[in-house]
Amino acid sequence: MIRIKRLSVASALLVASALAAAPLSFAAQTATEAIQARQKAMKGIDGAMESLVAIAKKQAPFDAAVVKKAGETIASHLTEAQGLFPAGSEKGDVQTWAKPTIWSDGAGFAAALKSSHEAATALAGVKEEAAFLPALKALGGSCKHCHETYRLPKR
Amino acid sequence: MSGPSRAKRAAVAAVVVATAGAAAFWLLTAPRPLAPSAIPAHTPDLANGELLFHAGSCISCHRPAKGTPGADPALPSGGAPFKTPVGTFYPQNLTPDDATGLGRWRPVDFVNAMTRGLSPSGRHYFPAFPYPSYRNVRTTDLLDLFGYLRSLPKVVSPERPPDVPFARVARRGVGLWDLLALRGPRFSPDPARDASWNRGAYLVAGIGHCGECHTPRNLLMVPERSRWLAGGPHPSGEGEVPSLRGLVARKRYKDAADLTLALQNGETFGYDRLSSGGMGEIQENLSLLPDADVRAIADYLVSLPQAPVDGAGAAPRPSR
Repeated sequence: MIRIKRLSVASALLVASALAAAPLSFAAQTATEAIQARQKAMKGIDGAMESLVAIAKKQAPFDAAVVKKAGETIASHLTEAQGLFPAGSEKGDVQTWAKPTIWSDGAGFAAALKSSHEAATALAGVKEEAAFLPALKALGGSCKHCHETYRLPKR
Repeated sequence: MSGPSRAKRAAVAAVVVATAGAAAFWLLTAPRPLAPSAIPAHTPDLANGELLFHAGSCISCHRPAKGTPGADPALPSGGAPFKTPVGTFYPQNLTPDDATGLGRWRPVDFVNAMTRGLSPSGRHYFPAFPYPSYRNVRTTDLLDLFGYLRSLPKVVSPERPPDVPFARVARRGVGLWDLLALRGPRFSPDPARDASWNRGAYLVAGIGHCGECHTPRNLLMVPERSRWLAGGPHPSGEGEVPSLRGLVARKRYKDAADLTLALQNGETFGYDRLSSGGMGEIQENLSLLPDADVRAIADYLVSLPQAPVDGAGAAPRPSR
C-alpha cells in the first residue's frame, strides 16, 4: 500500500517536472529571441545615428532628407523595442547587458523609451540646420539617460 | 616547589603573543602625516583648481543626497550614498563650512587627506576615497584645488559615518592596506614623450583616478599595476569596466581625435559606450575641461598597447 503510494507520488512529481520543464525551455528560447531582436534594433539605431553624427561632426553637409530618414528609422526601432523586453527575458542563451531595473522599474523604462521616441520624431522633422544640433543633442541625451539607468557597463 | 602549570604557561604565552600582535598592528597602522613645514607657500590659482575639480569628477561622489532639502546639487556638500563591495560610504562635505566642511582645514590637512588618506585628526580614510591615485597629483595642483574648494559657498552638512562592518577596527586596519597600496613611486613624466601625452598621463593617473575602476584589483583590493587600465569587473558588482588599452586596435575609437570627440560629446555624438556604469557623469565632467586637456587624455590613452604588461618592471609609472 505504502509502496504504491510512494510510486504514485514519484510519478506525479516526474510528470509535474516534465510539465514545468516544457514551458521553461520555451521561455528560454523566446528570451534569447527577444534579446537578439532588441540587440538588432539597437544596431539599427546605431547605424542611423552614424549619418546624423557625420553631419554633427561636419563630415557631411546638413541634408533635411537624410535627417528625416534617420530620425524615422530610429523612431521605428524604438517603437519595436517597446515589445522586446518581455517579462522573463532578463537572461537568455546570449549575453545581455540589460539591467534588472528594466523589469523592476517597468514604468520608468517605458517612459524613457517614449521620450527617446519623441526626440527621434522631433529630429526627423527638423528642416533648418540651426535646429539640427539641439535636436540631436536631445536625442543623444535621452539615449544616454536610458543607458545610464537601464544598461550594465560592458567590456 | 614545581613551576607554573602547563595551562598557566600557555595562557601567559597567549597573552604575550596577543599583546605583541596588537602592538605590531598598532605600530604598522599608525598614521604618518606630513608636517605643515612640508607644504610650500603657494597662492592658489582658482581657475586651475576648478579645472582639477572637474577633471577629478569630485562632484559626482561629493554631491548632496537626492532630496536633501535646500541642497544645491552643484555644490560638493556631501552625503549622497556611495556603494562599494565593502559597504556604503557617505562622502564628506567639501565646502568651507567651519564645523562640517573644510573651513578649519589647513593646506597640510588637505594634502594629507589627498595623498596619504589621513583626516586632520589622523584617522585613516577608507580607500573608497581614491587617495592612492591622488598621491600622483603635484602639491601645487592640490593647493589650487584646495583654494577652489575654499572659495565655494559654505554649506552645513555633517559627516555621516560609513555603513561598514567593524568600522573602527577596519578603519585602523586601512593603515596595513596603505602599506601595500601606497608603495612604489608616484607619477613622473616620461621625457621620451611629448607634452600632451605627459599631461594626459598625469591627469589619468592622478586627479582623474581612472585606474580606480579601470584597473583590476587583486584579492587584497589593491590595483594590479601589471594590468594598468586593463578593465575588469565593475565595482558595483554588476557588469564590467572596459579596458582602456588598445582602444584603436580594438576599433573602439578611430584615433585620438575620435576619442577626444567621444569624451567631449558622449552619446550626443552617438558614442554609446560612455554612458553606463557611472561613466556618463564622468564624461560630462570631462567635457568641461579645455580642449587641449581632453585631447591630452586621449593622446595618452590611445598610446596604451592592447596587451597589458606582464611581470617584472610593469607600470611603476603609468607610462608602461
